[in-house]
Amino acid sequence: MTKIVTCVDGSAITSAVTAAAVWASTKLNKPILFLHSLEKEQQHGADDYTGAIGLGARSALLEEMTKLDEQRAKVALQLGRELLDDVVRHAQDSGVADIESMQRHGEVVDSIGDLEEQTRLIVIGRNGKSHDNSFNALGSNIETLLRKAAHPVLLIPDNFKQPSSFMIAYDGRETADKALQRVIDGGLLHGLHCHLVSVKNNEKNLHDKFESAQRRLQEKGFQVTASYIEGDIFESLMAYKKSNNIELIVMGAFAHSKLRQFFVGSNTLKMLERSDIPLIVLR
Amino acid sequence: MLENMKREWFSNIRGDVLAGIVVALALIPEAIAFSIIAGVDPKVGLYASFCIAVIIAFVGGRPGMISAATGAMALLMVTLVKEHGLEYLLAATLLTGVLQIIFGFLKLGSLMRFVSRSVVTGFVNALAILIFMAQLPELTNVTWHVYAMTAAGLGIIYLLPYVPTIGKIVPSPLVCIVSLTIVSIVLGLDIRTVGDMGELPDTLPIFLWPEVPLNLTTLEIILPYSLGLAVVGLLESLMTATIVDDLTDTSSDKNKECKGQGMANIGAGLFGGMAGCAMIGQSIINVKSGGRGRLSTFIAGLFLIIMVVFLDDWVGQIPMAALVAVMIMVSIGTFSWSSITDLGKHPKSSNIVMISTVIVVVATHNLAIGVFVGVLLATLFFSNKIGRYMAVRSYFNEQEKVRTYEVVGQVFFASAEQFVNEFDFKEAVETVVIDLTHAHFWDITAVSSLDKVVIKFRREGATVSLVGMNDATATVVDKFGVHNDPKEVEKLFGGH
Repeated sequence: MTKIVTCVDGSAITSAVTAAAVWASTKLNKPILFLHSLEKEQQHGADDYTGAIGLGARSALLEEMTKLDEQRAKVALQLGRELLDDVVRHAQDSGVADIESMQRHGEVVDSIGDLEEQTRLIVIGRNGKSHDNSFNALGSNIETLLRKAAHPVLLIPDNFKQPSSFMIAYDGRETADKALQRVIDGGLLHGLHCHLVSVKNNEKNLHDKFESAQRRLQEKGFQVTASYIEGDIFESLMAYKKSNNIELIVMGAFAHSKLRQFFVGSNTLKMLERSDIPLIVLR
Repeated sequence: MLENMKREWFSNIRGDVLAGIVVALALIPEAIAFSIIAGVDPKVGLYASFCIAVIIAFVGGRPGMISAATGAMALLMVTLVKEHGLEYLLAATLLTGVLQIIFGFLKLGSLMRFVSRSVVTGFVNALAILIFMAQLPELTNVTWHVYAMTAAGLGIIYLLPYVPTIGKIVPSPLVCIVSLTIVSIVLGLDIRTVGDMGELPDTLPIFLWPEVPLNLTTLEIILPYSLGLAVVGLLESLMTATIVDDLTDTSSDKNKECKGQGMANIGAGLFGGMAGCAMIGQSIINVKSGGRGRLSTFIAGLFLIIMVVFLDDWVGQIPMAALVAVMIMVSIGTFSWSSITDLGKHPKSSNIVMISTVIVVVATHNLAIGVFVGVLLATLFFSNKIGRYMAVRSYFNEQEKVRTYEVVGQVFFASAEQFVNEFDFKEAVETVVIDLTHAHFWDITAVSSLDKVVIKFRREGATVSLVGMNDATATVVDKFGVHNDPKEVEKLFGGH
């Protein structure tokens, strides 16, 4: 059975992430798997600048560095264990019965990749431990994760409340169509009020596609408010979000290559950086 | 990809810069000393170290590893320089680079797995001995001043790190060099200096194509040297990469490292430098000083050339005695002392492999030949051991007058003769059954020795039948990659 893979790292965001996981688990009726990645920091050497190597320099250095790593890893393991116990208890108190937890060594993106086959949804905070309190900074792993992940990702800002409405930005491209289809097929957003928003762009037949998208959503039983607006994509979406009190955004991610993004920038990335509400990113 | 680059270059800026500087200071005397070993001007080694370090920082497969002009490589070029001169060395360096890139594309880095631990230890020990021996000419037929200076230098290098605070901040080899230079200048000692050994760089290296005729004769001269250089360079580089992998608990791309070494050597050859490779000692110093990323290697190269170009007058004044002291430290640091203390614990065959490697290298001054001999010996010892895993049991059925031989184990060229000897051809029986269900026939020598056994029995008038022939000979077929597939292995070794 696939699970809600929920990444926790003990940062201020953790409780919001846990709350989001509980919400997703109830909606989808899937178990939660709390994942704590033990990312290894660049260890420092002996910080010995003598540049001298004597007898058995290599084995002595190896021994010393192993000892340092060992101590650090033991502490990290212990802290991680306590963190996981904590969030599991929290989720249990919120009424989720089926909960697992797991610790893995390595980058969080790799750990998520290893769990790919048992994943239904990935829940992760939009920035991690090192970014506490700096709002605009997007966690360093997030972009890599979004480009790699084979499953939907729910990005959580530093607080979470159950959303009652969501906005889906539809630009007529293939990624947007796929995202739309997933919203229709999935169960997470059923019952929420849907705002379907298209910003006029140079896509052919955007308006026709937009209308058909609206129909598809309504057929599935969504209550849809559809808006077709003009202007700068990013700014218009943000303005719409603000004036309609949107509580969650769904978007298809990264239609373009990294190279293009480097030169022209990416709307996805701008949204990720500036959004203060939960985001669901679909690939 | 960008993210990866950022991590490999800029994730540890402070540590990398500091470590890079420490390494650069340690590299300068080594590069000069190795140039002298090779018989070229110090600037050839210094230019090489600069080019190789800077290029490998970008294209290497192991971040944080230091590559530059090395002793192992310098030792291989001595006769080439003596007989044909610098230009041919530069051409050979270019060819070395090309060969290494080809090796990289052919993924020959994976052949490293045939180089056993004993061979690696032998290689390292031989290298240490050769570096030490290369210092001896500087210590023969000289005045007592030189001995005193060298002894003082070693004293500073080894005792300074015990001085609290200062000892941990200042590189002791640097203190040794600076103080001995000052003493030598102040006292006006008439002893040999680096300046006496040849030209030092006064400019940045410039691009120059080696002035050698582009014909087959040139190729004939340089190819043997280039091959040796390419092999030794990759060997030492991959060994060092493994050491750095172990120390930092990270992984590296070995084939990328092969290609990177090749590119770095081509760069060195084009800018008037000699061939080089990764350095075990310097890489350990780098990690020990906190260097982890590509930036550390880059800074080491850059800082080295800046120091040398701007301080060339001063560098020329360094007494050779100071250099000798530093090189003795390098040699001691390179030698694997545990290999001596472990001699009693390790199996005899491993010790023979290690010691043979050392002896061959010291005798030929060629690390490539030593490694070759070591690998050969290790392989022979291994075949011998595996060959012993063969036994033939026999029993006689009184009623039916049938003699059954049951062969168990590995039959191949090393055990084929013993296999034949296990049968009793003198026994007069009518029927012989040879049960091969639990045997493996690995090569055609094994198969032909089985034929021999069958023919011999037939000549004695016995009827021979073979049991389990198909299972036993399945291994004759060369099936590469079988070991990765549990199902195939099960088929091959099924029922054993």
